[in-house]
Amino acid sequence: MFLQFKFLIILRTIWFVAQIAFFGLIASRMVIPQLADIYFEYYIAGVVIMMLYSTSVFIGYDIFEEAEHGVFEYLLSLPISRRELVLGRSIGGGIRSFIFVGPLIAISLFVVGMTNLINFLIAFSALFLFAFGVSGMSITVAVGLKSSDRFDILMGVLNAFIVRLSTAMYPQAFVQEASQVYATLANINPVTFASDLFRWGVGIERYLTNTPLAAIIGLVIFFSAFTLVGITFYERRLEGGGWQ
Amino acid sequence: MKVILHILEHDFRNFFRYKWWLAGLISMNLADLFIMALIYNQMVSPDIVELINSYFTFFAPGVTVIGLFASAFMIGREINMEVRRQIHHYMLSLPITRLELAVGRLLAGGLRGMMYMSPLLVTTFLFLGFPSLSQFIVILGALFLLATGISGLSIATAVSTTSLEKFVTARGLIYYVLFFCSSIFYPLSLIQKLGREGIMPQPIVVLAEFNPLSSATDLMRSFLVGTPDFTFNMIRNLVAFSIIFTVAATFAYMKIVERK
Repeated sequence: MFLQFKFLIILRTIWFVAQIAFFGLIASRMVIPQLADIYFEYYIAGVVIMMLYSTSVFIGYDIFEEAEHGVFEYLLSLPISRRELVLGRSIGGGIRSFIFVGPLIAISLFVVGMTNLINFLIAFSALFLFAFGVSGMSITVAVGLKSSDRFDILMGVLNAFIVRLSTAMYPQAFVQEASQVYATLANINPVTFASDLFRWGVGIERYLTNTPLAAIIGLVIFFSAFTLVGITFYERRLEGGGWQ
Repeated sequence: MKVILHILEHDFRNFFRYKWWLAGLISMNLADLFIMALIYNQMVSPDIVELINSYFTFFAPGVTVIGLFASAFMIGREINMEVRRQIHHYMLSLPITRLELAVGRLLAGGLRGMMYMSPLLVTTFLFLGFPSLSQFIVILGALFLLATGISGLSIATAVSTTSLEKFVTARGLIYYVLFFCSSIFYPLSLIQKLGREGIMPQPIVVLAEFNPLSSATDLMRSFLVGTPDFTFNMIRNLVAFSIIFTVAATFAYMKIVERK
C-alpha cells in the first residue's frame, strides 16, 4: 500500500536532498563558531527524524482511503480483534516508514559517520517506538476527523509546530535563549527525544537535551499513550459505521 | 475587461472554498517566523549579523514571499483538476475568447496570491517598520510581478502534467529548488562566497542570483532593513520572470483548452 505513495516518496526524497545540500550546508556557515563545526551533521540527524515523522504520518491517509473505498467493512469481517487491528496498523505504519527512511539513514550515516555500533543499535531500536507512536497519533487524528482535507491541513499545522518546537533543527540551549515557553515545549516533544537519541547513536553528543535513558522513557510514554488512545478511538469509530 | 472580471470573481470564489487550508498555511508561515526565525536569531554568527542585522528581520520578508509563492501556485492545482476532468469543455462554451480566459486565470492566480500575502506583508511592516509611499508602491508592484509570474509557472506546470500526483511532485521540485536556491533563508552574499570557495556549485549560485524569489525578498529588505542595496537588477529579474511565464502560461493554457 505504501508504494501507492510513490510520488510522495519522490517528493520527500527531493525535500531531504534539498534540506541537506542547500539549507544544511549554507546554514552551517551562518551559525556561531562554537556550533559551526558540528551544525551540518547535527542538522542532517534532525532531517532524518523529520523525515521519519512525516512518513509515519502517511498511515492516516490510508484510513481515509479505506473509508472511501469500503475496505473498512472487509477489515471488520476478518477474524482479528479491533485492538489487534489498530496495533497492527500502528506498527505496520511505523515499519514501512523505516523501509522508506532506511536508505536515507544510510546516506546520513555515510555523511555523519558512527562512533559506537551498540549506541547506534539502541538508538535505532528506540526510533521504532517513535515511528509507531507517530503512526498511532496519525490514526487517532484520522479517526477523529471525517474529512481528509481537514486531516491534511491539521497534520500540516501539527507538523509545522511539532518540528519547529523541537530540537530537530537547533540545540536546546538556543531554544531556551529564544523563549522559555518554547524550551519547555521542546523538552517534552517526542521529536526532541527521537532527535537526541539518533544524535547520541551516531556520536553527536555535544548538544543533547536529555540523557539517552530519559529520551527512551519519553518515547515509550509517547508510544504507549498514542497506541492506547488510537485503539480506543479506532474501536469506537469502527462500531456502528462511525467512519461513514 | 468585464469578462476578465467575471473570471476573477469565479476564481476568487474558488479560493475562499479553501479557507481552512489557507488558515493552516498562514499558521505554518507564522510558525516559521515566530519560532524558527526567533531561535535562529540566537544562533547566527556575529559576521552574518553585521550583514543582516538580525535573523528575524532578515527572514520576515522571506516568509512573505514564501506565502505569496504558495498561494499564487494554488491556481495550478485547480487548472490541473479542470483539465483532468475536462471541465475546460464547459469553459469553451462560454462567450469568452481563449485569450480572455487565459489572461483571467493568470491574473486571478496572481491576485489571489497578493490577497493571501497581505496579512504577512502587514506583519512584516509591523516588525520592520513601514516603507515610504514610493517604496510601498515599488514593493507592491514587484510582488505583483512575482505573483503573476508564479501563477504563470503554476499554470504551465498544471497543463503539462497528466495527473494530480505528477503535478504535486513537480510543484514540490519547483518549490524546493526555488526556495532553497534563493536568498529567502540566507543572504545572497553568503551563497556567492560559498560559490567562490568552491563549496556551492556555480550554477546554483547563478540560479540564486537570478531567482525571482531572491529579487523580491532582497528588494523588500533593501527598503525595510537597508541591506542589501537596492539595484535595478532586482526589477529586471522580476520583469523577465513575469513576462516569460505569463506568455508561456497563456499559450500553454490556450492550447490545452482547445485539445479534444
